[in-house]
Amino acid sequence: MRIQIGEKRAVVTFKYFLITVFAILTLLPIILVVVGGFKTLAQLRLDLFGIPNPVMWSNYLDIIDPNSSMFFLNLLNSCLVMLMTVVLGLILSSLAGFALSRIQFKGKELVFTFFLIGLLFPPAVAILPLYIELKTLNLLNNYLGVVLPQVAFALPFQIMLTRSFFNHIPIELEESAYLDNCSPFGFLIHIVMPLSKPILTTVAMLAMVTSWNNYFLPLLVFNDEKLFTLPMGVMSFQGQYLNDWSLVLAFISLAMIPAIIFYLIAQKYIIDGLTGGAVKQ
Amino acid sequence: MKKILFMTLLALLLVSTGSCTKKESDGVTISFWHLDTADEFKATWQKKADAFMKLNPHVKIEITILENEAFKQKIATMMQSGNPPDLFRSWGGGVMNMYAESGLLRDITKDLKKDGFIDTIAEGPLGVYSYKGKVYGMPYTMGAVGLWYNKKMFKDNGIEPFQTWDDLIAGCKKLKAAGITPIALGGNDKWPGHFWWVYLAVRTGGKDAFDKAYGRSGSFSDQPFVEAGRLLKQLVEIEPFQKGFLGATYTDQSTLVANGKAAMELMGQWAPSVQAQNTDDKKGLGDDLGFMPFPAVSGGAGKITDAMGGGDGFAVGKNAPDETIEFLKFLMSGDNYKDLMNSPISILPTVKGAEKYITDPQEKAVAEMTAKAEYYQLYYDQYLPPAVGEVVKDATQGLFAGTKTPEEAAAMIEKAMQEEN
Amino acid sequence: MKNKPTKTGYFSKGFFSKNSLTAFCFLIVPLAVYTIFVIYPILQAVWFSMFKWNGLGPMNNFIGVDNFFKIFSDPVFRIAIGNNFKIVFLSLFFQLPLALFIALIIARKFRGAVVYRAIFFLPYILSEVIAGVLWSFIYNPQYGIQNTALTDIIPFLADFPFLSSPSTVFYSIFFVMIWKYFGLHMVLYIAGLQNIPQEIEEAARLDGVNWWQMNRYIILPLLKPTIYLSVFFSIVGSFQTFDIVWAMGKGEPVHAAETMVTYMYKFGFQRFQLGYGSAVAIVIFIITLGVGMFYQKITASKDI
Repeated sequence: MRIQIGEKRAVVTFKYFLITVFAILTLLPIILVVVGGFKTLAQLRLDLFGIPNPVMWSNYLDIIDPNSSMFFLNLLNSCLVMLMTVVLGLILSSLAGFALSRIQFKGKELVFTFFLIGLLFPPAVAILPLYIELKTLNLLNNYLGVVLPQVAFALPFQIMLTRSFFNHIPIELEESAYLDNCSPFGFLIHIVMPLSKPILTTVAMLAMVTSWNNYFLPLLVFNDEKLFTLPMGVMSFQGQYLNDWSLVLAFISLAMIPAIIFYLIAQKYIIDGLTGGAVKQ
Repeated sequence: MKKILFMTLLALLLVSTGSCTKKESDGVTISFWHLDTADEFKATWQKKADAFMKLNPHVKIEITILENEAFKQKIATMMQSGNPPDLFRSWGGGVMNMYAESGLLRDITKDLKKDGFIDTIAEGPLGVYSYKGKVYGMPYTMGAVGLWYNKKMFKDNGIEPFQTWDDLIAGCKKLKAAGITPIALGGNDKWPGHFWWVYLAVRTGGKDAFDKAYGRSGSFSDQPFVEAGRLLKQLVEIEPFQKGFLGATYTDQSTLVANGKAAMELMGQWAPSVQAQNTDDKKGLGDDLGFMPFPAVSGGAGKITDAMGGGDGFAVGKNAPDETIEFLKFLMSGDNYKDLMNSPISILPTVKGAEKYITDPQEKAVAEMTAKAEYYQLYYDQYLPPAVGEVVKDATQGLFAGTKTPEEAAAMIEKAMQEEN
Repeated sequence: MKNKPTKTGYFSKGFFSKNSLTAFCFLIVPLAVYTIFVIYPILQAVWFSMFKWNGLGPMNNFIGVDNFFKIFSDPVFRIAIGNNFKIVFLSLFFQLPLALFIALIIARKFRGAVVYRAIFFLPYILSEVIAGVLWSFIYNPQYGIQNTALTDIIPFLADFPFLSSPSTVFYSIFFVMIWKYFGLHMVLYIAGLQNIPQEIEEAARLDGVNWWQMNRYIILPLLKPTIYLSVFFSIVGSFQTFDIVWAMGKGEPVHAAETMVTYMYKFGFQRFQLGYGSAVAIVIFIITLGVGMFYQKITASKDI
């Protein structure tokens, strides 16, 4: 890697120094928490920066042990809810985005505007009427009670993304599909969607992050501890072991791990996905 | 076209699958909600539920446990959706009355009268779980709030249990001078702090002032309530609380006292058992833990024997099956109740004649105080309508933080009370 | 986004009715889900907002717009709305410049840029609840950084009350928000920067402009669309702040860290004032809409 022309060595060194300090500050809280999970409570109280001594594997093992904590159940629930939200969101936003982009019909703009209105509502606005509604539809204590509203609230933005991307698919492709006697649906499945991987990645990534982190809605919908998602698990575990920070730290460390691992593997997709929607329009 | 329809159907199918929830079967299910998250407390209720299910194989008891704050949040939403659990933890009083008023609770008076069961429960506590002459739930413990203190710390610093508010102030100063945190307080939870102000109001105004303010012939901005704030301010000014108390929770408060990091806390009958849970050996301070009534206020209308407190109990939701009441009776009678009293949960009996099972001297002291009180005041945050109760807690927190004057605090509460009527 | 290359696609040929039917088939499920779970509950909230209603009994105390008057006369709501605007402005003046600054450094020819980017972005992928609990620990007076030798180096840390004083709680939480979200804005800027052709910079450099001139007069103007977008995200996000405040002390003590959404939840739902809470929700919506539109207007007039 060559040094930029005109930049002095000192400047470069200073930049590295600055950025490294920032990086350490960013990581430090996370490291303290993960390491803290290995300490005894007594050591935690006295020695925040120290190396665990003795190393309390038991803190982590207790949490992994399905008999003493709900961690894996929480994790599984979070995954299931996320998966359903992502799949459903992709399907619905592709369908709607396609119709609003490639099909001409009366009231098209009206329908699009109708969807766009949804961008303006914070989900919290509707939470109570929504709760009453979910109860009437018998969706409380049911994954769908979280999935459907999550999908619905994400739809406006997702449709905005898919529609604008589909708009750019060359008309020639449509022409040839039409000549091949391909139906609009076939065109969507066989041509548009494969070409739209970048934007569908974006849609999926946004849906994943939102669903994974959602706390408010699952809190209202799930009563049964067996359905709790990870953020709920964190809050309830913290409420239960408020006096035992080393266990709480172990729990949140473990709760962070799936997201971090996935992030490290799919970093490119996540970052491209999240920024792609925004910048490349 | 066919493909489109197929796709639509597929989407619809996707919507309808995943409805992977349970139920059905001809048995009866009771949803039972409590908030005792400590392992040993949890186990106590679970054991009792298991025992009941064993005796009644057609009954299934589904227990939901949430931590105190989350529980209060959740139950509010359940109620607003018109969907109360069958049996749930309740403190009786104003909040329960509001549920009863809205038809969300089941009137269990008849079920309790039928076999004379109602006569086995002490009237006072049962009254807290009744509204307009109808019973909607049952308390399993009823006690009073008082000062739980570290006897050793008091003795080492030559401090006697307090008789008056001035003693308390002097004691705190002494402890502070000795480098000890005099009082632990979970200020972020608000309700532990509101105990202080309410108790002061009980001492300054007595039953009379409260009845007048509550009955609206008087007001919460009357002199005794302002005076309570003034006295509290006097305490706050000597900074007797642990560092960062406004951000602390009740668990923090309990942990500090239990581990000898603070000399006292103002708390209800459950304090010893919670303290025990918050130490490594699950024993708490043991014999070093002392209990004293809230000190008297000179010139106040209330006596030192007047008590503020409340109970823990269960209310019955409107759709509860009959088996719920059977379960409640099961818990509240004979050996089962004795087991509960012997469990790690501290319980001051509400079942007549069960006093003899109390072994712990502290618990005895609280039980006696509760029984002897001429004026027994239920916690304001449970007795008053919820919106007012919340304002009481806000106002008190303002006093602790020094952002509200005693007059402003009293006026806030009065305003909320007026809006309610 | 506003261009429509396919004015008449091939699927628009044929009969009008057939197209409508096709569109209907594509749209029915998304529309249904959206209407049932977004629009309908929101309309209901509008209706609730005109009642004094505790959410339990029958809704029969119609009070028109009284709830809205009550909102604006409540000092706690004024704190909440003030905090939301503070979040917006502090983000604009601290968080976004920080993100931009770091992006400018690592976007180009910076060895290890990928690693740094990954580190800075990491907090964003943690959930608010986890971030909140994590920082409650760091701020905890008995366990956290106050309890370390750091207090010898930075003396004011020793008695800094963080979450336990009304005067510091808001800023302590805001600090966590910077920590959590600046990475998102940073990657937005990096993506924007990478869309700027290298040649422009090279040419400028040959003309002898320095680092400051380069960024101020060449890069920033080209980055405008990205900056506008990041600001917009920041504003809309700020108005919806809930989880992170909730996980770090619920907006207490004495409501010093309350935001509009925590206020709505507390005073509406927890205090059994459903009508009132719904009115607060409507106010949040109107404010978000108003600020959003105002923002679009100024950015539109400033020739993007």
